[in-house]
Amino acid sequence: MEAGLSAGRLIGHPVRRREDERILRGRTRYLDDIDPPGAAQVAFVRSPFAHARIGGVGVPDGLEGVFAVLTAADLEGRVRHLPVQGFEGGEVSTEGHPVLAGDEVRYAGQPVAAVLAESRALAEDAAELIEVEYEPLEPVLDARSSEVTMSRWHKVSGDVEGAFASAAHVVRASHGLPRLAPVPMEPRGTIASYDDADDLLTVWVSAQDSHRQLAGLANVLERPEESIHVIVPDVGGAFGSKGAPGPETMLVAFAAVMSGRTVKWAEDREENFVASYQGRGMEADVELALDDDATIVAVRARIWADLGGYLMPTTAIPTHTTAMLICGVYDIQAADVEIVGKRTNKVPTGPYRGAGRPEAAYFVECTVDVVARELGIDPLELRRRNLIRELPYETALGWTYDSGDYERCLDLAAELVEPERRSDDERVVGTGFGMYVERAGGLFETADAELLPDGRLLVRSGSSPHGQGHDTTFAQVAAERFGVGLEDVELRFGDSKEVPRGVGTFASRSVAMGGSAVVQAVDALKQKCEAVEARLGRSVSLREIAEAEPGLRASARFESDLVFSSGAYGAVVEIERATGALRVLRLAAVDDAGTIVNPLLAEGQVIGGSAQGLGQCLVEEAVYDEEGNPTFASFVGYSLLTAAEMPPVLTAFVESPSPLNPLGAKGIGEGGAIGTPGAVANAVADALGGVRVDPPFTEDKLWRALREAGS
Amino acid sequence: MKPSRFEYRAPGSVEEALPLLRPESTVLAGGQSLVPLLNLRLAIPELVVDINGIAELDYIHADDGVLRIGAMTRQVVLERSELVRRRWPLLHQAVRLVGHPQIRTRGTVGGSVAHADPAAELPVALTALGARFHLLSPGAARVLGASELFLGPLHTAREADELLVEIEVPEQPEGAGSGFAEHARTHGDFATAGAAAVVGPGGHAGIALLGAGPVPARADEAERALADGAEPPEAAALAAQGIEDEHRRALCTELARRAIEQAAA
Amino acid sequence: MRIEVEINGRAFEGEVEARTLLSDFIRHGAGLTGTKVGCEQGVCGACTVQLDGEAVRSCLMLAVQANGRAITTVEGLSADGDMHPLQRAFHESHALQCGFCTPGFLMSMEAYIREHPDADEEELRDALAGNLCRCTGYLGIIEAVGRAAREMRGADVQRD
Repeated sequence: MEAGLSAGRLIGHPVRRREDERILRGRTRYLDDIDPPGAAQVAFVRSPFAHARIGGVGVPDGLEGVFAVLTAADLEGRVRHLPVQGFEGGEVSTEGHPVLAGDEVRYAGQPVAAVLAESRALAEDAAELIEVEYEPLEPVLDARSSEVTMSRWHKVSGDVEGAFASAAHVVRASHGLPRLAPVPMEPRGTIASYDDADDLLTVWVSAQDSHRQLAGLANVLERPEESIHVIVPDVGGAFGSKGAPGPETMLVAFAAVMSGRTVKWAEDREENFVASYQGRGMEADVELALDDDATIVAVRARIWADLGGYLMPTTAIPTHTTAMLICGVYDIQAADVEIVGKRTNKVPTGPYRGAGRPEAAYFVECTVDVVARELGIDPLELRRRNLIRELPYETALGWTYDSGDYERCLDLAAELVEPERRSDDERVVGTGFGMYVERAGGLFETADAELLPDGRLLVRSGSSPHGQGHDTTFAQVAAERFGVGLEDVELRFGDSKEVPRGVGTFASRSVAMGGSAVVQAVDALKQKCEAVEARLGRSVSLREIAEAEPGLRASARFESDLVFSSGAYGAVVEIERATGALRVLRLAAVDDAGTIVNPLLAEGQVIGGSAQGLGQCLVEEAVYDEEGNPTFASFVGYSLLTAAEMPPVLTAFVESPSPLNPLGAKGIGEGGAIGTPGAVANAVADALGGVRVDPPFTEDKLWRALREAGS
Repeated sequence: MKPSRFEYRAPGSVEEALPLLRPESTVLAGGQSLVPLLNLRLAIPELVVDINGIAELDYIHADDGVLRIGAMTRQVVLERSELVRRRWPLLHQAVRLVGHPQIRTRGTVGGSVAHADPAAELPVALTALGARFHLLSPGAARVLGASELFLGPLHTAREADELLVEIEVPEQPEGAGSGFAEHARTHGDFATAGAAAVVGPGGHAGIALLGAGPVPARADEAERALADGAEPPEAAALAAQGIEDEHRRALCTELARRAIEQAAA
Repeated sequence: MRIEVEINGRAFEGEVEARTLLSDFIRHGAGLTGTKVGCEQGVCGACTVQLDGEAVRSCLMLAVQANGRAITTVEGLSADGDMHPLQRAFHESHALQCGFCTPGFLMSMEAYIREHPDADEEELRDALAGNLCRCTGYLGIIEAVGRAAREMRGADVQRD
């Protein structure tokens, strides 16, 4: 395996994106832009109750423009529940999410029936007339008090009891992160069409890859994978929410097979808020045991995850991730971590930008600051005393951090943010820091490189962009490795019959895994080309090689253990005394994602992720009322930050290359969302003289906290 | 979501429009408040009466010192009006904060008043200015003050067969200043609290709060205090005193103080 | 109801219901899918087009209301020629990632900068608040808009 590539002709350069022009000219094709003539449009009947038994579903006759109405009865015996992915070393329930609710609904917004009609408007008209007999039941809305556990993971490593018993100091803190909605600007959507003659089901889906859609459809519809063709068109953002296929996608595909029509579901914003799986939703009690020079000797954590009514395929995964990262960037020898995922009558949770890493970073970093204050030590100094310095490093919980330079990140963040702390009659200003380590990459990824007749290079990748710029980044890698210009490289993504079977785009894996697969495929193709040239006995152009041996192609399947990106974020915040209003004055974001292929795009990921982290801190919270009704069915009930609220974000990259892949890359897609909340929370606590509140840090909370701090 | 079905008429004059107004019909002015409700099926009228074609309702002029605004005046037109900016600056200050430029291109002054969203800027500014509202029905015409018109959140005294045709704003005293302050979580959100203030020589004061109660209401006690020479912070505290929640009271007090200080400057 | 709407200089005719939204007519009636729909509530701004040169939310207008009117969409910002300064600036400043919100930003800001050529950064940020983006974190967009405004101002000065 080669050492990480250093900056070359293209790698390491802020190349502007090739994808941009067609977007800027309005020539994109997202799911709803695809208009198959005569397609049946779908509207779902969704439960208005958080928890209810279903007695029956009455479908009136003569519904205008309606082709069919599907209920669970139509799916019985032909469609499975969605599968559930488990994790190592823990217990995860295997009961998955039904495609349409049978005799019970467990969250408001859960799909109960599907109407196929000539238009979306007519489908909605009909949906209103369908009579569902609901018998409302008492909803459970609090994870801690829920009696149903859907997942559990517990690990004890080292002599935790002993460490706590003999510790010079024990510090306890509790933190909570409310649920967040992912809110991609493009909601979800699926189109399916079935060719009877070939028994081929073609599905277009706004998704993070074709692979999981394909596997999920094959599983749930009980069809062979070869009989399904998944195409991912342009995708307007996902942030984790378009990973595993949801019940609506399954229903649309099934309806296409059953009816012989092309079927289309274009999710609207209300549905997206209410029924798309949410992120975060965890509470933790954390205890740190320290010796008398403030070295952390052990950590104990009890974490409750509010998982919602069902386990979606990947609902349990972030819980495992959070638990595994509770030691953070610190050299902690003993750990006792338990996380329980509880059922509540809310929409399920699932991976959302960071997917367990923001939670872990938040819980650790906030607790570290509580320790600093209690012990009277500077928070930066406390961190420096405990940072892992020698990498690779195996944590007490079992993961091996492959590379990193945590101290350098922290030093840079401290410098960049220009700490400030002051207080007068009108305002109070505080500074805080938050570090993170996150798991990225892993599993495998695929790529296929082909020499075209004109001598250009065609690369097919298992990764699947939805805004990240893979078309440019991977082209940089391929062009540099192959020795051609960017304009001579074409990339293809997203079509299951075209690209090699891979894993997809999530978990900050694309450059590390997808990019490395591209390196390997291109290197292999280059070797083949060189062999042809050698055979020809003279120096030839690529076109001549293609002519001499048409169809030269090489594929690669790159596998790797997890890589661990890390970073340090700093924030300076100001709270206005009279109102409690919070302003983030500036954010410093220092990320170590190893080799950076395109610093312009990498910075874009950091800033975008930071904006979501800031959203979590300032305004975002998916709130259910006491009856389990979502209060966030529109933008009136769920705020997003606008351009007017964004503070300056000072970014820097520390590049400690990963030894685990040829690019030395680690993943930058989620760092912003992972590092920001801890830094802002600690800055707010600093401004409040140590009083801690949970996010979002709304003005009423801070105003009351300031009064508490003053007393 | 898509709206449920409705009948649609687009009268070209007030005379044509009036007979169409009944409980099952709804008036479509700028659409910036109504269409979201239609799209969510929270409003399900049988008939939509689109008054965008009624040119006779689109005007701004001053007669004998009184400002008269036709109900169909676009918010952006109010924003750009030199006449309004010079002589009724509170309206200019308030309308600039309404939504976003795209909203103001279509949204109307009359629409904002008739919709009576408790978070809306124009109703509270018009209340502080002592505005009066002209309603026409097939048989009658009446003029209401703000306290008579605004009855509750999204609820006005306008009957189903009435059309709001004009907003009349009295002359402001020479040398009066105004201020408008509001707070919203983000620039995209509705305001959660706000204050409109006009302060003039000779003890003239008009103060109204947004988000302090179910309707925008004049803060009489605060106005009297100002007239008696109270300082802005004192008057502001009086304006917000009725608010139970401590933080909301503090927030409204602060916003009222800013608005009053801006007006007094 | 039969309507005729001029979009980017071309006449489009279609049969619509009273309840058909302008956004749906543009996208599915006229087949111009450059304009996107993100919320149908008038908040996200993805559906922004220009009506007689002024930015409006097409999801908050009924298609019938555009009968006989002239609309400009993102497809009409530069036709097939050189990209508009705003488009070029967005590209240069990496002001787009997934691109879904981009047409709405372009149509909003083209109108705004045209009407307020001397807007400062704070005013531009405020104007930008009418469009939501979930990918970029806005800083690239703010830079792009500032850059484009300077170029458009310069071009105006040259024309005078």
